[in-house]
Amino acid sequence: MTMQALVQVLASGLLTGLIYGLVAVGLSLIFGLMDVVNFAHGEFLMLAMYATFGLVMVSGLDPVVLMPLVAALMFVLGGTVYVGVVRFAMRARANQGMVQIFATFGLATLLQGVAQYLFTPDYRSLSNSWLGGKTLDLGGIFLPWPQIFGALVSLAAFGGLFLLMTRTDFGRALEATREDQGAVALVGIDCNRVFALGWGLGAALVGLAGAVLAVFYYIHPGVGGAFALIAYVTVALGGFGSVFGALAAGLIVGLVEAATALILPPSLKSVGVYALYLLVVLVRPQGLFGRL
Amino acid sequence: MAGTTITAAPTGSLPLDESARRFTAKRRRSLYVGAVVFAALAALPYAIRDVYLQNVLVLTLLYAALSQSWNILGGYCGQISLGHALYFGIGAYATSILFVNYGITPWAGLGLGAVIAALVALAIGWPCFRLGGHYFSIATIVIAEAGLLLVQNWDFVGGAMGVQWPFNPDAWATLQFAQDKVPYVHLALGLFVATWLVTYGVAESRWGYGWRAVKDDPAAAQSLGVEVFRSKMAAAAISAFFTAIGGGLYAAYVSYIDPESVMSFRFSLLFALPAVLGGVGTLWGALVGAVILIPITEISRSYLGGTGSGIDLIFYGALVMIVSLARPEGVLSLFKRTRKARNAEI
Amino acid sequence: MLRRREILAAGALALAGLGSHRAIAADEVVVGVLYALSGASAQNGVDARRAFETALDVINESHDLDLPAAKGVGLEGLGGAKIRLVIADHQGDPQKGRAEAERLITQDKVVAIVGAYQSSVSATVSAVCERYGVPFVCADSSSPSLTRRNLKYIFRPAANDEMFSAAMFDFMDGLRKQGTAIDSVALFYEDTIYGIDSSNVQRKLANERGYKVAADVKYKSNSPSLTAEVQALKTAGADVLLPTCYTNDAILLTKTMGELGYKPKAMIAQAAGFSEKSVFDAVGERLQGLISRASFSLDLAAKRPSVGIVNDMFRKRADRDLNDNTSRQFTAMLVLADALNRAGSTDGAKLRAALAATDIPGTRTIMPWKTVAFDAGGQNPDATPVLIQYVGTKFVTVFPKSAAVAPAVWPMNA
Repeated sequence: MTMQALVQVLASGLLTGLIYGLVAVGLSLIFGLMDVVNFAHGEFLMLAMYATFGLVMVSGLDPVVLMPLVAALMFVLGGTVYVGVVRFAMRARANQGMVQIFATFGLATLLQGVAQYLFTPDYRSLSNSWLGGKTLDLGGIFLPWPQIFGALVSLAAFGGLFLLMTRTDFGRALEATREDQGAVALVGIDCNRVFALGWGLGAALVGLAGAVLAVFYYIHPGVGGAFALIAYVTVALGGFGSVFGALAAGLIVGLVEAATALILPPSLKSVGVYALYLLVVLVRPQGLFGRL
Repeated sequence: MAGTTITAAPTGSLPLDESARRFTAKRRRSLYVGAVVFAALAALPYAIRDVYLQNVLVLTLLYAALSQSWNILGGYCGQISLGHALYFGIGAYATSILFVNYGITPWAGLGLGAVIAALVALAIGWPCFRLGGHYFSIATIVIAEAGLLLVQNWDFVGGAMGVQWPFNPDAWATLQFAQDKVPYVHLALGLFVATWLVTYGVAESRWGYGWRAVKDDPAAAQSLGVEVFRSKMAAAAISAFFTAIGGGLYAAYVSYIDPESVMSFRFSLLFALPAVLGGVGTLWGALVGAVILIPITEISRSYLGGTGSGIDLIFYGALVMIVSLARPEGVLSLFKRTRKARNAEI
Repeated sequence: MLRRREILAAGALALAGLGSHRAIAADEVVVGVLYALSGASAQNGVDARRAFETALDVINESHDLDLPAAKGVGLEGLGGAKIRLVIADHQGDPQKGRAEAERLITQDKVVAIVGAYQSSVSATVSAVCERYGVPFVCADSSSPSLTRRNLKYIFRPAANDEMFSAAMFDFMDGLRKQGTAIDSVALFYEDTIYGIDSSNVQRKLANERGYKVAADVKYKSNSPSLTAEVQALKTAGADVLLPTCYTNDAILLTKTMGELGYKPKAMIAQAAGFSEKSVFDAVGERLQGLISRASFSLDLAAKRPSVGIVNDMFRKRADRDLNDNTSRQFTAMLVLADALNRAGSTDGAKLRAALAATDIPGTRTIMPWKTVAFDAGGQNPDATPVLIQYVGTKFVTVFPKSAAVAPAVWPMNA
């Protein structure tokens, strides 16, 4: 393997890693807020990709332009899922952890079925977008524009999220609610509202990821599965609930995956990620940036 | 929940021997109920002659047994493992490789697989039981996925090609029965009875009390002298042991295995699901859950899946969601409540 | 909307008939069809359904086509009985395939089963069929091992992976003789039975015939990214890339190759993904000059009118041309109908004997095959594969000479 190839693989790993971070951050946010792991996270991503695809087909506009609309739709979906499903799981007096897992798992299966029903199980793909298929050639190192764009969106989203969490009333309400629900209720903040908005925000973030991925990835009812597992590992590695952790872990996962594929047969590239993850949580059970 | 109410049986308002007497009477009654239910289940395949329904029965009992095994760690001890597919795969592969490559009877493979799985569970538990809540669940998922990848790339066990069982005449020694499903019903039932008896025996033992204490409040359990770590390790080993036997039986039943078809993540969920739906940490929850879930899964696929429109998935997903939301304590709690209500009326 | 309502109605009917053994009308022959109708390869099952419906149209209604069982209404040998299909979903799981095969045989009393795409599922389904003495016509699973297990009830009219890969190397040998320099190949295959089987054969053939294997890349199917894998292929820079992947990874591989600026001199694909409409819809312009092995070639329509007519019939149902898979599915059903006609019976043993005695000249099929006849294991050794090249927006047959309509464009982006 030449130096150039090495740089290429690591650069690609970096871009992929930023996108992994964007896929995972919504999951981490929701977890941090209310201790719920959303097992339908991959299906949220899948729906966002179909939403992008559908909007492009209907409007003829470019996915880049439609991205805010997709995020808005996903915001509504996330809030609806909280109000319609998760709220009831939170009320369970017994086995709350398991009820959450299986309620969201049931939701995941349901959403896959709905997608197959509405969109057929055919593989879809967006062609003819502004960025699709365009590549930046830096002296033999090829960086595809859709991924560069995705990485930029990811960085912007993390920046925006940071500002939102620290500079706005909503962010402070989120932060306060995750610290102490009871106290928050006393000062007159409606927890349910905060939770619903939190779910909306989490889904909107994965919506951005879906819109980015739709430009260069295929779209299928089962597409969420591959990304969901990576998202769980990313979130656990970075620390559940830590926004910055999701970004850092996403980058690490992307790079380690790329590096493993250089050393081991590529079919084993996830093993490197899994091994690193296990190593980290054994030393730091709360993940890199999580709190216990 | 229902299981823990039994432990609360010795209430302060009754004289101690009286409550102890009631408690043992209740325990004995459970045994009688068990004997009747198991006898009925053993006779059931003779009443149902339809091969398809017998297949549903085999799967129902097998999943009941697997879920009962999961329940020991997940339900009683409160450690939500979502990686039991690993132990299932170990059992399936140990049994298949010994039989297909070396001609050793599957019975030996069942035993070997169970022992290996228990040891692996201890090796995994040693570092992972320090992880709390979701961190533990995600770690089990990741370890099982890594196991799947390794098996997929391990040529000695057939890699992605899997292991095909050769054709053999019907025999208990090889666990092969071409058309007859009754032996498989009895094998699956046997495994379920074994897991039930272990649960029954252990639930009221020191270990059982320890597990529930660990589940409810590990810190308090520790201060009361429960060896938290050891309790978890014991539960993990027992749980993995029986899960592997289930995997071995599954391999013999299907007579073909490949990594995806015995070690994928959906199996880990499928083992937990019946117990969760039926009633986590209870003696009968896994069976009740499996009796509801497995026939619906099978029948909805068979009779709704042929269209390719995804309505079987919609149906199944909605069912899981609604049941888990509507009855967090499990379906079994419905019966408990009515009995309590009836008692109150008297 | 109509389709959905039909589906719901069908679902309701199916539920109503649950458990009860549906009465079989005397003038009806029931055939079981097993495919994955949910999960990653569900589209394949949906397309298969359309291919079988087309076959049923040909068999059950009277058509002036030179194909087995086409003329006259229904099956002549069975007094004009019509074939009815029972379609079941195995979700790509060998255990479910096995259970569904048992259900079709014992409840629906099917006379034969056709399926099942995934070789792993065909393995368990063929075992069940063997035990019940019901023929299994393996339409489209190409693992060579399936017909090497001394089973009596499995029949595969189409080629297996060894035959397909041999055709690829025959083709390259031919080019070498003409003076084209082809020194090395790169294998790129997924970590499933399909990928491993294919790569084993290709590795062996490459060694035997003196091609250097410059890269041997096994990848995890459904990966979120193939960048590192494609980089390895690019670094190796082999003369010919031999990919073995399903639809999703075919799309991702092609996109990633474009993104990394990797343009191999030639690609010869093991069909599957590289014969699916959705792949060419998505990345067609990047696949100009791609060569794929195939069981089917639409060019044949010029010589054989039936090919074009059947393709039109399929097109009306599926909104796409027949491809490698759907043509094999269609043909499998016709081969079965031919055997039913000759057997004059739906008895398993008699039908098996008729299938074993099958001898349909290739010209009476829609395939470029020499004949349809089975060896002792149930494999048709004369299912001559073809190689087709994607040029413009359609496929052109380039190999073997007997079927070729144009010389291959080589290198692919010439």
